[in-house]
Amino acid sequence: MFFNEVTTMLRIESLSITLGEFSVRDVSLEIRPGEYFIILGPTGAGKTVLLETIAGIHTPESGRIILGDKEITATEPRQRNIGMVYQDYMLFPHLTVGENIAFGLKLRKVSRDEQHTRVDEMYSLLEIGHLAKRYPGSLSGGEQQRVALARALVLKPEILLLDEPMSALDGRTRERMRRELSRIRKLTGTTIVQITHHFDEVFALADRIAIMRDGQIVQVGETSDVFLHPSDTFVAEFLGIGNLIRGTASKAGDIFRIIPERGPAFYAASGLAGEVVATLHAEDVILSHESFASSARNCLTGTVQELVPSGSTVRVILDAGFPLTALLTRESCRDLHLEPGCRVYATFKASAVHVIPVNSQE
Amino acid sequence: MRKISLTITLILFFVISATLLGLIFYSPLPVLFQSLTNPEIQFAIMLSLITSVISTILCIVLAIPVAYALARYEFFGKRVVTLALTLPLTLPPLVAGIALLLFFGTTPWGKALENAGFGVIFTPLGIIVAEVFVNIPYMIRILRSAFFSINPRYEYVAKTLGCTDTGAFFQVALPMARHGLLAGAVITWSKAMGEFGAVLMLAGATTMRTETLPIALYLNISAGNLDLAVAAATILILISLITLCAVEYFDRDVHVF
Repeated sequence: MFFNEVTTMLRIESLSITLGEFSVRDVSLEIRPGEYFIILGPTGAGKTVLLETIAGIHTPESGRIILGDKEITATEPRQRNIGMVYQDYMLFPHLTVGENIAFGLKLRKVSRDEQHTRVDEMYSLLEIGHLAKRYPGSLSGGEQQRVALARALVLKPEILLLDEPMSALDGRTRERMRRELSRIRKLTGTTIVQITHHFDEVFALADRIAIMRDGQIVQVGETSDVFLHPSDTFVAEFLGIGNLIRGTASKAGDIFRIIPERGPAFYAASGLAGEVVATLHAEDVILSHESFASSARNCLTGTVQELVPSGSTVRVILDAGFPLTALLTRESCRDLHLEPGCRVYATFKASAVHVIPVNSQE
Repeated sequence: MRKISLTITLILFFVISATLLGLIFYSPLPVLFQSLTNPEIQFAIMLSLITSVISTILCIVLAIPVAYALARYEFFGKRVVTLALTLPLTLPPLVAGIALLLFFGTTPWGKALENAGFGVIFTPLGIIVAEVFVNIPYMIRILRSAFFSINPRYEYVAKTLGCTDTGAFFQVALPMARHGLLAGAVITWSKAMGEFGAVLMLAGATTMRTETLPIALYLNISAGNLDLAVAAATILILISLITLCAVEYFDRDVHVF
């Protein structure tokens, strides 16, 4: 299997571990070099335990972890060269920002000069040089996040593990963080494995995603494949809240016009020109039988492909030239007499569309 | 309600302050200073300082790993162990003292120690043993709560950054618990300075040999030397005051009591 060794960065084989009420059962995954891999699952699915086991914090009950061509199942965390950034950052409160970042370098007995150079590199990569002398307690969430990233990245890890990096941040900081991650990945080529419990902008960065439930991997695949072909209702429900549309954006007055690879153009309130991924929450799409006058910029027509009920809501999958998912309550769905084959209008605001560059030049 | 509660608070404040100030100012200042130069009081001050500092250091050294184990690890019988380790908190020191006396006086262990030159009964070493026995539960409890309040993920991150298990403890957990450690050390030390019952039982009350400040207070009041007793008491009050201020200062994020 020589070929396999070249294309796999991290291989997890039938990994099982139970930790209190959380467990990981028979998980196998392969992560490729330079890949951005997202593991999505509800709270309590065992995502953090999986991440911590990859980092070497917990010893698995069975299974193997292979990094590159070395088995590391029993290797101490400090010898794995895997970086970890937690949701609540875990910056050491008794050390300054500079000391936090240099923490790992000191332990590795890196010379003082090199420590300086590498910490400075991180300051400029993450634009946190002005925080060097401050203590973590006085930083904002976004600043702490960047310091935590710097502390992990300064060691040039083979893999960076991220635990819910977006969930503690507010909207604007999230957007900045997403750009940050995209840039880091481009500049350092670090393989990133991230866990998250809900759909957000960061999905535009993901090459592949895995869906996890009750400690098991339910589905793995290319991001767009999983979005379009969820393997069961659980996955569908989880992903049903989002649309990812690839296309080309150009400026059109104050707003941006996006031409998808297939299908009609639509508008986004803000964004940038070039190759983009547009994200749109399914609950922001309004369906109707007649087109109606409103402040919403986008009104497309589409054919209902499939209705997927889950709980009190129904996911309506349209073919609008490109696949488009709308999330409706059961009542609305009944009142509209929707069924496969219906022609409907899909209306959504330009401000509900988030535009993310594919090949970030920032 | 406001009036009543404030009035009672005020009355209690005056009663307590007046009682303590009355003690401090019982002897005129020159007499107090005279007493402080008395060789017996000076011996008591020195002995109290030496034994309390040594016993505090022993408490810290023993309590740190124990408190960490109780805060971080699960093991069989943890509840019973915790109970036993903290029982001396509510045990009257006299009872602790007599238990120690029996342990060191009647068991082969105690005899062996005595023969090896580490006599505990009626010796200054006995003072240290009694102080450690009575005070270590405080240190364990304070440190346990300090370690418990630190998210273990700080140590996990430290390990991914290159720390060993022990390294993560010394570089992250211990510095983060420093306020608890300081508060615990100050409380343990002040309790050691004032320990009477257990010391009396195990080390006895021999003038100029096992005479700590509280023992000096007791011996002098028994002999009718009120001035010397007051001098010893005054020093003990000052120590309490300093302790309370120090704890208030360090106790911002650790709950001691």
